[in-house]
Amino acid sequence: MHDLHRFFRFFLLSCACLLNAGCMEWEDGRTEDFRDLTQGEGLYILCEGNFQYGNASLSYYNTGTRRVENEVFYRANGMKLGDVAQSMVIRGGVGWVVVNNSHVIFAIDLKTFKEIGRITGLTSPRYIHFVSDTKAYVTQIWDNRIFIVNPETLEVTGHILCPDMTMESGSTEQMVQWGRYVYVNCWSYQNRILKIDTETDEIVGSLTVGIQPTSLVMDCRHKLWTVTDGGYEGSPYGYEAPSLYRIDAETFAIERQFRFKKGDAPSEVQLNGAGDTLYWINDDIWRMDVRSEALPAQPFLPRRGTLYYGLTVHPDNGEVYVADAVDYQQAGMIYRYSPQCVRRDSFYVGIIPGAFCWKKP
Amino acid sequence: MKRLLTFVCAVLFCAAMSAQDLRLDVPGVTVLSERPMKSIGLHETRLDTTALQESIALSMADILTYNTSVFVKSHGRATLSTVAFRGTSPSHTQVTWNGIGINSPMLGMTDFSTIPAYFIDDAALLHGTSSVNLTGGGLGGAVRLATVPQHLEGTRVQYVQGIGSFGTADEYLRLSYGNDKWQLSTRAVSATSPNRYPYRNRDKKENIYDDTHHIIGQYYPKEKNRSGSFNDLHLLQEVYYTPGDGGCWGGQVWYFASNREIPLLTTDYGTTSDFENRQREETLRSHFSYTRNGGQFKTEAAAGYMHTWMAYDYKRDAGNGILTPMTRSRSTLHTIYGQAETEYSPHHEWLFTADVTARQHFVRSVDKNIILQDGNRAVVGYDKGRFELSGAVSGKWRPTPLTGLSVVLREEMYGDEWAPLIPALFAEHVIASGWSAVLQASVSRNYRFPSLNDLFFLPGGNPALKPESGFTWDVGMTFARDLSDKLHLDGNVNWFSSQIDDWILWLPTTKGFFSPRNVRKVHAYGIESQLHGRWQRPHVTWDLAGNFSWTPSVNQSDPVSPADQSVGKQLPYVPERSASVVGQMILKKWNFTYKWCYYSRRHTMSSNDFTLTGQLPAYFMSDISLSRSVSVRWADLSFRASVENLFDEEYISVLAHPMPGIHYEFFIGITPRW
Repeated sequence: MHDLHRFFRFFLLSCACLLNAGCMEWEDGRTEDFRDLTQGEGLYILCEGNFQYGNASLSYYNTGTRRVENEVFYRANGMKLGDVAQSMVIRGGVGWVVVNNSHVIFAIDLKTFKEIGRITGLTSPRYIHFVSDTKAYVTQIWDNRIFIVNPETLEVTGHILCPDMTMESGSTEQMVQWGRYVYVNCWSYQNRILKIDTETDEIVGSLTVGIQPTSLVMDCRHKLWTVTDGGYEGSPYGYEAPSLYRIDAETFAIERQFRFKKGDAPSEVQLNGAGDTLYWINDDIWRMDVRSEALPAQPFLPRRGTLYYGLTVHPDNGEVYVADAVDYQQAGMIYRYSPQCVRRDSFYVGIIPGAFCWKKP
Repeated sequence: MKRLLTFVCAVLFCAAMSAQDLRLDVPGVTVLSERPMKSIGLHETRLDTTALQESIALSMADILTYNTSVFVKSHGRATLSTVAFRGTSPSHTQVTWNGIGINSPMLGMTDFSTIPAYFIDDAALLHGTSSVNLTGGGLGGAVRLATVPQHLEGTRVQYVQGIGSFGTADEYLRLSYGNDKWQLSTRAVSATSPNRYPYRNRDKKENIYDDTHHIIGQYYPKEKNRSGSFNDLHLLQEVYYTPGDGGCWGGQVWYFASNREIPLLTTDYGTTSDFENRQREETLRSHFSYTRNGGQFKTEAAAGYMHTWMAYDYKRDAGNGILTPMTRSRSTLHTIYGQAETEYSPHHEWLFTADVTARQHFVRSVDKNIILQDGNRAVVGYDKGRFELSGAVSGKWRPTPLTGLSVVLREEMYGDEWAPLIPALFAEHVIASGWSAVLQASVSRNYRFPSLNDLFFLPGGNPALKPESGFTWDVGMTFARDLSDKLHLDGNVNWFSSQIDDWILWLPTTKGFFSPRNVRKVHAYGIESQLHGRWQRPHVTWDLAGNFSWTPSVNQSDPVSPADQSVGKQLPYVPERSASVVGQMILKKWNFTYKWCYYSRRHTMSSNDFTLTGQLPAYFMSDISLSRSVSVRWADLSFRASVENLFDEEYISVLAHPMPGIHYEFFIGITPRW
């Protein structure tokens, strides 16, 4: 009986100790008001975060005051942005943020960063392109369909089936529009630019380029520019020297191919606001006039122990913003350069800054 | 931390008070047993067989969480659980089963969620340098797992059934037969669960819309774990034959089949009806050995075959109700191996050992089906073989009864590449024989070769990777004392320091895939300590064991960029402090067990910044169980009820992966009498 008492005393003492042992502390989402910060012009910076860790984030940089605020989506909404923030566009005063591995596109208020809606039911969204106020295309990876969504009702309304792709090898990326046609580069284990008729929502053309075109823009002369990464060594799809292609949008034909060295990894083709100067990343930052007939010999901005991962050009003053992902596991750094490559500012943002979006005043 | 200290103090106070009572009554009795030659200088944590038997429903990951100082990174039950020593990575922990390495040659690590405690009869951890005695590549340490014969006379059947929360059903069966020559055992484990535990999702909010699609309200949804079901089956057949001439033949065959969904992230807005995310595995491990004890010699020869088939399917409803593959990975692994080991002791002061292991792996890994540029189909993957050789010689010398010295020289070969010689030196000296207090020191170099995925995975494999190298030294003290015939106390404390160069990390590339690189130089150092006390009274036994580790693991690489803030910082996801306590009270046929563990706040960024989106706060976990055995004329019965996550703590161990709150399981065991 004495031992039985001891047994229960031990039990009670243990419970008392355990109650004192505490719990994990959670900070339930307090939200902040950012209205003062977002006056005037600004730059949204999407930080991918680490795949499968759900730590993507959104930063906002006021170019006038040079003030940066990080994790603004979380701070405004009290919830995470998600897993792998991929891209963002602005349409009609609303920001549309594509979060790839969360299978969602958030619509946010540009002044408050607060969510005003979301599109779900997506496979693996990469980019959104607005055809009209009631129709947008959403490209995807690991799906052979480009989804058609209605941004007003936030619903998936249909899809465009891409030819010669399976779900497993499906990959459509960036979109640009010329007239009634939208052009899409197909990246992962692909080598094509597709042409979509926005009136019929059908693929009406396909142009073969090099292996894995990574990005797509259209210059002031309506020439499409895409840069391929050339695949990788050992790939059954092939491995070749990457190239920069100039494609005439009207004839949908390659006008010029600029070859890089085999093993190079060019990406992130961007244009300045006038659409007459190209920029891209190939270890260094490179710049080229769209009328040029040869690749530049010297980089615009040499790599200095940096790992350039994202790039954008101010649409009005031509300033160049470059993202350094550092070691992919810490806050990335954004460098702001003048068109003459003079550093004007630098600031830390979230993990793996990869995409930008400009907000006009 | 304050809470941790409060609790540890309270528990130790209880133990101290109990011990104090005893010291008044009984004079201390000291027993200095001669330490085995093979243990000279070793820092070894041997898991109590009671811990293994009591934790029938647990995987080895759970056992290690509560009973050792290693860090177990788990995504929940039946999901990937890895073990890391001393601030190193899971691939720096080598795991052996009956003497043969079972780390996946593809991934370089072991998933402890696939090792049921019910199949392990003997388990020990070899910390740091001590792992060189067992195998190479254990830059953090090694885990040694083994099955052993029961030495049974006659037939025995044990059946245990468990029913728990979230629809979990566990079954355990062991059929055994033994006589003076033969020992046979068949074990089976089955575990199934929809595993749909509820949790509050604080990473996202549900919107409430009005008719015009405007948000009029938001809330954190209470969700159930999505896509987390599992169905595991293990079978283990053992045969031991002892002809009586000093030799022993042994054979073990372990078959494992699992079908597990991979849970969705908390930040996933997809629906489970639209996606299937599933991993399946079948593994066969067979091991045959012959051991002979003959005077000064002990020899063992073993050979075996291991096979693993793994499938990963990520499917999506293509709009027609049919799930269509987005990713369809398959990998097949065959390993054949042979092993020989001998010990020679010409004199009680000397012991020489030698061992050699040869392994041949054949791996075929297919990750993606693609359409080629010419319209034909192809798969992305690799098909490789690798021969591995590991051999060691050691000499152990005890010049005085109180002093021991040991040297181990190990050499390893992977493919056609030889590692530099791996030397390890060990020394120990008994400083207080009354307490069996032994001072220990050891130092070693070590190398770990890249895994086959590190080298050849497509895309991203890097054939130019160098082996990771480590230099480690340890000093410490162990003690054990029977303070009386009823009270026993033992413990150890160790300081270690490891310098690891060319640490391999998989990092994203500008081409959109991950690739491994030798990037880091890491200094891992700190303290590991254990204390264990056992007090036996006529009808009651008290047992209390605690572990505490302080393991800074600091990045000492050069900055990779002018913006790099990671130099001099703790590695992400490695806790600096961890602790565990297991208390047991055995009263006649009652057994009350209380288990508690603590991990300090972990960084998710190499710069050690804390962000709102990347927090892994410290957490405490408490489990209790109460069991009772009953003997009736025809059987021994056992009943056990366990409560896990006793305080229903909302916690995560890995970002975006919720863990279950309080849950229960009830077991009934029957052992018929024949």
